[in-house]
Amino acid sequence: MVYDGILLSLVIGFFRGGSLKGLAHMKLRGGWLFPLLLVVQFVIFALQDKVAIIAKLSNTLFLLVYVIGLLFLWLNRNQPGFIVIFAGVLLNFIVMAVNGGRMPVSVEAAQFLGREYIDALQAGVYGKHQAITQETLLPFLGDIIPLSPPYPRQQVISIGDVVMNVGAFLFIQHLMLSAPSKKTSTAPASK
Amino acid sequence: MSAGCLKNYVKWYVTFIYLLGIFLCFWKADFFTQSVEDWVLIYMLSASILLLSYFTIHLPPKDNSFSMDSAIYLASIFLYGISLTINVLFVSIIIELMYKKRVALWKHIFNFSMYCLMIVGAYYSFILFGGKIGEINTHNLFPYMISLLVYFSLNILLMFLFFFFSGQMFKGTFDMGILKEACISYSVTLLLSLVLTILLKEQRFFGLFLFTILVVLLSFAFRKFLYLYQDVSERANKDHLTGLYNHGFFKETLNEYFSDAKKLQQPFCLALLDLDDFKKYNDRNGHLRGDALLQFFGELLKMETKEKKYVVARYGGEEFAILMPNTRKEEAFSFLDRLRKKANDTYFAGVEHIPSRCLSFSCGIVEYESGIYESGELIHRADQALYYAKAQGKNNVQVYNEHNILLDTIQFKEELDAMEQKLKIFLSKDIYTYRHSKRVFKYALEFCEKLELTDHERQTLVLGALIHDIGKIEVPRDILNKEGKLERHEWEIVKKHVTWGKEIIAAEKQFDDLIPLVELHHERYDGKGYPYGLKGEEIPKLARILCIIDSFDAMTTERPYQRTKTFEEAVSEIMRCAGTQFDPFYAKLFTKFIQEKYLSRVHEQPEKYHDNKAVQ
Repeated sequence: MVYDGILLSLVIGFFRGGSLKGLAHMKLRGGWLFPLLLVVQFVIFALQDKVAIIAKLSNTLFLLVYVIGLLFLWLNRNQPGFIVIFAGVLLNFIVMAVNGGRMPVSVEAAQFLGREYIDALQAGVYGKHQAITQETLLPFLGDIIPLSPPYPRQQVISIGDVVMNVGAFLFIQHLMLSAPSKKTSTAPASK
Repeated sequence: MSAGCLKNYVKWYVTFIYLLGIFLCFWKADFFTQSVEDWVLIYMLSASILLLSYFTIHLPPKDNSFSMDSAIYLASIFLYGISLTINVLFVSIIIELMYKKRVALWKHIFNFSMYCLMIVGAYYSFILFGGKIGEINTHNLFPYMISLLVYFSLNILLMFLFFFFSGQMFKGTFDMGILKEACISYSVTLLLSLVLTILLKEQRFFGLFLFTILVVLLSFAFRKFLYLYQDVSERANKDHLTGLYNHGFFKETLNEYFSDAKKLQQPFCLALLDLDDFKKYNDRNGHLRGDALLQFFGELLKMETKEKKYVVARYGGEEFAILMPNTRKEEAFSFLDRLRKKANDTYFAGVEHIPSRCLSFSCGIVEYESGIYESGELIHRADQALYYAKAQGKNNVQVYNEHNILLDTIQFKEELDAMEQKLKIFLSKDIYTYRHSKRVFKYALEFCEKLELTDHERQTLVLGALIHDIGKIEVPRDILNKEGKLERHEWEIVKKHVTWGKEIIAAEKQFDDLIPLVELHHERYDGKGYPYGLKGEEIPKLARILCIIDSFDAMTTERPYQRTKTFEEAVSEIMRCAGTQFDPFYAKLFTKFIQEKYLSRVHEQPEKYHDNKAVQ
């Protein structure tokens, strides 16, 4: 979903006459954190089935990743759109934190993702997700929005994801459109 | 009712609406028992509402815009009932609260409460008239229409009360044109809400998606339209050389701002700027360079006024005008004086050949006051201040006031002679008006001494007294000399002499000061006079004074259609009408003046008075 959003932003940015040059002007504080967090996530994914200790701590680790991510976003809150991304991530973080570190997923909304997925979800072992039950707190912040045709991909997302994407969209639009253009302003005719 | 009282009322009103709205919200909203599917719906509806209130539909000619979010609220009421709709409202207001930070918090809450009331009203009227939630009944559209009517009536009522309590109401706020436009956009909303209801019912998310995209695209199309329109109208309003607004647009905008300032009692300033020694610059450097200088100066003005909402126009030749709404003269003065210094410090090729050796301008500023009744007078005053600035050695800024107008006794004599010449036409046509004018002139000359007026005001009053009935030249002889009462239509013609007089006087620029006197000497203090029906302080001071003198002379001399009064009767008549027909302050002064100057003498020599009467 995040990648779809970025792609859409790029396409719309081109339509509005922006250019990729602007992306080069991106200046973020603590930019190195972002790839690091991605790597950490993948490591957890890969190892949680094999290493017992990581499986046990994976929920906490995920929350930790989120906290550092939030910190990174907060550092850059002056960038356009970042405060919106922050709000989206925060919403996701809140619902995961109150539900023990895993993202609650609506089983009804996830129906079309297939039998195996639902079974895995209800067994509680699918990645960082779990099914919404009666006990789930703040279910409306969980993964409850089904993306279905005409949207090209099938997925279930949360409102936090949507907000996050809006933020990313704003940021990319800003970068692409604020690139220095060739037009120069007309200066008054003076020496 | 004082303004303070009104401020209080508006606070109470807003608080009341807050409480009502928030109560309704908590009574009807339901955040915990909604199912997960309903929440998805709430998100989608809120997102559409946010998109639609961002992409409003703009309509030329002015910046009218309306948002289609009401269509979504209505469709949601018809299909899903009230508690889900209130939830949608709540979510979208929270998000709006976060991204529209420039709007004050109380406005957000007021808006929210207003929507709550509207939604609850629409819902219950829908139910009351037999509407069924969750289905669309095309055989009975009545409940839908009633529901919409209630929704928008509440909207208009709440806004109306708000403006009413905050005292921002003035003539024209709710005129037919606006009402018509509102009706059209409301019917569009109703139709679209029905369309959306059907779409939502059939295809839910895809329906909502189609609807939103459609409206957003419409918004784009209309916006392009508006830009196109603005572009074309801008081009018609701009001066070719400097890119500033042109004279015609300036006059139009001046009139608009002027009537705004008058109705809303807001401060408003006008400045006229004239480049110093531009002719010399042109002679030395050629016209092309002269044009470049004008262009450069225009650019400078544009840059400097960018942040403020001033309107800058090329008034003509090397003259420029700046309209400054919501500005006091002190503020205008400091702004223009800073601009003047900046211009002095800016180098432009060729300025070393003109006497001041730098780019400089003279400037006259005038602020709107309640006595000014026409925008042309504002220009005249600014012009006088500009001339004064020129006479002060150029390169300076002057604010208009009665004391800094150039006075010239020789010029006054010349003007007096010119007036007399004009008046002589009456000798053959209407001897009564000739003598009346002479007498009013004499009274004015004498009465002036008793008043605290500036020299310029004195000259204006005296000249105005002499010429005030000049418009009667246009009135046919048989009406002027008719014995007995005038017919209604004849009276209408006589009344027009003030307007005709103004036109005669306006033909010569040097007499511009006299226009208010000629045009307004039949205005009454209580607002029942003609031609405009101005009231109290709205009538210029000098016109109020002239009105008293004119009436006094009319009362005390023989007229074809009126019986004569003695001086005593006239004096008591003026006192009787002080406060209704006449300005009470000047009426009192005038009667005192007559008593001192004439009545004491009349008592001593009664026979002379009678002689007078016989002659006139």
